[in-house]
Amino acid sequence: MRRLPRWPLLAAVVALCSAHVGSPDAWFEGSAGPYRVLVHVQAPGVIPGIATVNVRVDDPDVERVTALANRFDATGGAPPPEIAHSVAEQPGWYRTQLWIMTTGSYSVTATVSGARGTGSVVIPLAAYPLRRLRLSAALGFALGAAGLVLFAGLLTIVGAAVREGVLPPGAQPDRSRRRRARWTMAAYGGVLALVLLGGKRWWSAEDAAFVRSMWKPMASRAAIEDGRLIFAIEDSIWIQRRNVGWLRSRGAPRRPDLIDDHGKVMHLFVVDAQEGRGFAHLHPATTDSVRFTAPMPPLPPGRYAIFADVVQQNGFAQTLVAKLEWTGEPPPTGEPQDADDAWMTRPAPPRDGAGARGGTTVTLEDGSVLRWLRLGRPMRAGDDAPLRFTVEAPDGAGPLEPYMGMAGHAVVVRDDAAVFIHLHPLGTVSPAAQRQFLPRSAAQATSPERLPSPDHSAAPAHPDPLAHALATAAPAADTITFPYAFPAAGSYHIWVQVKRNGRILSGAFRAVVESTIRGKGP
Amino acid sequence: MSRVSTASAVFTSRAEARPAEEPDWPLYAVLFASLGIVAGLLWDISWHRTIGRDTFWSPPHVLEQIAAVVAGVSCGWVVLHTTWAGDAEARARSVRFWGFYGPLGGWLCIWGTLMMITSAPFDDWWHNAYGLDVKIISPPHTVLAAGMIAIQIGAMLTVLARQNRAVAPGGRLSLLLVASAALLLVMHATVLMEEAAFPNHMHASRFYRITALGFPLVLAMIARVARLRWPATTAAALYLAIELVILWTLQLVPAQPRLAPIFNPVTHMVPQPFPLLIVVPAVAIDLLVRNVRGRDGALAAAVGIAYVTLMVGVHWFFADFLLSPAARNFVFGADTWDYNVTLGDWRYEYWQIDRDAAGDWSRGRFLIGTAVAVPIATVSARVGLWLGKHMTQVQR
Repeated sequence: MRRLPRWPLLAAVVALCSAHVGSPDAWFEGSAGPYRVLVHVQAPGVIPGIATVNVRVDDPDVERVTALANRFDATGGAPPPEIAHSVAEQPGWYRTQLWIMTTGSYSVTATVSGARGTGSVVIPLAAYPLRRLRLSAALGFALGAAGLVLFAGLLTIVGAAVREGVLPPGAQPDRSRRRRARWTMAAYGGVLALVLLGGKRWWSAEDAAFVRSMWKPMASRAAIEDGRLIFAIEDSIWIQRRNVGWLRSRGAPRRPDLIDDHGKVMHLFVVDAQEGRGFAHLHPATTDSVRFTAPMPPLPPGRYAIFADVVQQNGFAQTLVAKLEWTGEPPPTGEPQDADDAWMTRPAPPRDGAGARGGTTVTLEDGSVLRWLRLGRPMRAGDDAPLRFTVEAPDGAGPLEPYMGMAGHAVVVRDDAAVFIHLHPLGTVSPAAQRQFLPRSAAQATSPERLPSPDHSAAPAHPDPLAHALATAAPAADTITFPYAFPAAGSYHIWVQVKRNGRILSGAFRAVVESTIRGKGP
Repeated sequence: MSRVSTASAVFTSRAEARPAEEPDWPLYAVLFASLGIVAGLLWDISWHRTIGRDTFWSPPHVLEQIAAVVAGVSCGWVVLHTTWAGDAEARARSVRFWGFYGPLGGWLCIWGTLMMITSAPFDDWWHNAYGLDVKIISPPHTVLAAGMIAIQIGAMLTVLARQNRAVAPGGRLSLLLVASAALLLVMHATVLMEEAAFPNHMHASRFYRITALGFPLVLAMIARVARLRWPATTAAALYLAIELVILWTLQLVPAQPRLAPIFNPVTHMVPQPFPLLIVVPAVAIDLLVRNVRGRDGALAAAVGIAYVTLMVGVHWFFADFLLSPAARNFVFGADTWDYNVTLGDWRYEYWQIDRDAAGDWSRGRFLIGTAVAVPIATVSARVGLWLGKHMTQVQR
């Protein structure tokens, strides 16, 4: 195993938030200079919005933790960093909030200062509106009631002005004046009603515009043809991304091309979200980045959710989604798969309570025992829930090997497929996107295809992050930890994949996550 | 007279023995509220252009909240006192609202305060749902603005009723009335800030059409209703003075941006653009309203023509000065921009100018576009004169 070179004090190791399904936060576990940190950036749900940055430092001699957000193309410098305050009920954790003002590519820089010096870590944040907030019944009722009172009040004022306001003190309004006041109130009432109607339409228009601006992955479709799985991107702006005339005529942006992410242009997962009877991690091939094909593995027939992770040249990662009805026909051709493809099947777990929560050990195909070291407390949405596993090998089996550069892979899917995340021990990291942020020569740094990194002017060159991942891939004691927090309550499947003796081993667990009582958050 | 509730009979019997003098402090309270609202608004806009981030309790917000509370509490006190502890004379000079008595302007101030309070939770939800202040004009901000303007109009009506009841013409009350109109002019100019305030706007006919919408209304109205020799001129001069004090004060306060992306690293609060010189057409409006007899339609047309002509005459050349290096100093506050604005030559160019088909500036199109401003100003002045006529009758 190659030793990691000593990082300079102001090391800028970069991690990327991937736009996974229903799981927008960014997790990074690694080094910030001389300190070991775990950083969790809670993405804002709306833009402009507030991102909460949580930093855990495994060092007692920390003097200060700060964070700042900046957009990659800002030329007037960065705003002063915000001081992250220690969290009372969570020792070692520091938290602050940052305003994210525009959509696009932001970077969050967390800096730790203490007895051992200063270290930084830069975490890009893909800033897009993500969720729609409904008006709660209580607030809606309160505002409606206040609105009624104000409506009636204004009409009363108008009536009082016409009826008495223009009379000398003490004079009483006669009948014609009272009648005029009533007519004026009625007319104003009509006008106000129209104004309120206009206001309601305005609100609906703003809401519709917001929904249109929300993040959506490119439309995609999955199908089986002659025993092969075909995954096709159907977004016309993507298909025509090299057709400048077509794009210009529609005022459409040019989408950056795909790049390989830890060695593959696409990581595609075929998941039986509901019962967990089948799971496949495939690496389809493509010639045009529109149609991706892979031999279909021998999974049991059923309904599957397809999740396809890709990374673009600008460092932006997203998960494309599709559904697949697999009838089992035509049968898989038995064609050789990509060497890193892996799948597993298992019988549907029993529906009773014990089975639904799942056990904590699984025996892998080579006899290893994959054990989930569950937290001693129930898992709640929003709470830290690092997923820790040990792999106990049978005697003489040899150490775990990196699987595509990682100590292990975990895939977390909710049973309705509304939450999906593809996790590594580094967190929600794509080494390919990391590479996009490394300092390059001046000429390359000005390339429009790359995101220039404002922090690298002071930092010397860094090793390839894939090499760094490889160097730290093999765990010392066959314990693998994936930093994570479940974003929503529900019933989940967790698939874990490791590699030994050139063989990819997969195991599955069930997890039930409860609603938050007092989750960490802004 | 209407019955007074038995619960307050104790107060009634004591108060009616000796009619109280009408207190002045409510006038100053509502005018303070009106001033606090526009000052807070200009300060808040500067805050967003300089620092970027704010909270519910940022200093400009606190000023606006204090203004709302002062308006609501002072008028609420007057209402309760008049209803339960006031004498018959106090109730005689009030209007009735759901069994309570108070000055007409006071009720509008209370309504405005309640609108401002209601807008707060609405605005908070809106930020969480659609983003933090992505646009200035949003439904909750409109509710807030309606409340603010209601307080300002309520302040004006409160002073107006006192002026109209006073026997002697002119004097302190009329000056306070003109001040309340000046505060409305400041509010109107602030609302127009994005569209028709920068010198870069002033070579486009659009500027003259937009500024013809509201200023003639307020100036004609105050010219008719205030018992001073130069009411519109005084209102416009006070508007100028208030804006200048705020413009100069802001530039003295050090500040730095606290949000990314920063493209213009400012070091002090960014002020609003230099105020408009509406004092010049205001002089003409005073002269016309005082001297032109006959139908208001003809008077309004005269006001419309004079207003637009003088606005063009003054601002066309004043804009040249404001865009020149001679104006880039503390006094004129020119060439000051938001922290997140990418600087460039556009700062010294004229925007949205009238162009012909070839894309060159067209004098003809400018003149036609400006001529369209005349009927707009005429209608605006006509409405102002009509309002003024009715307002001279307000006595409660």
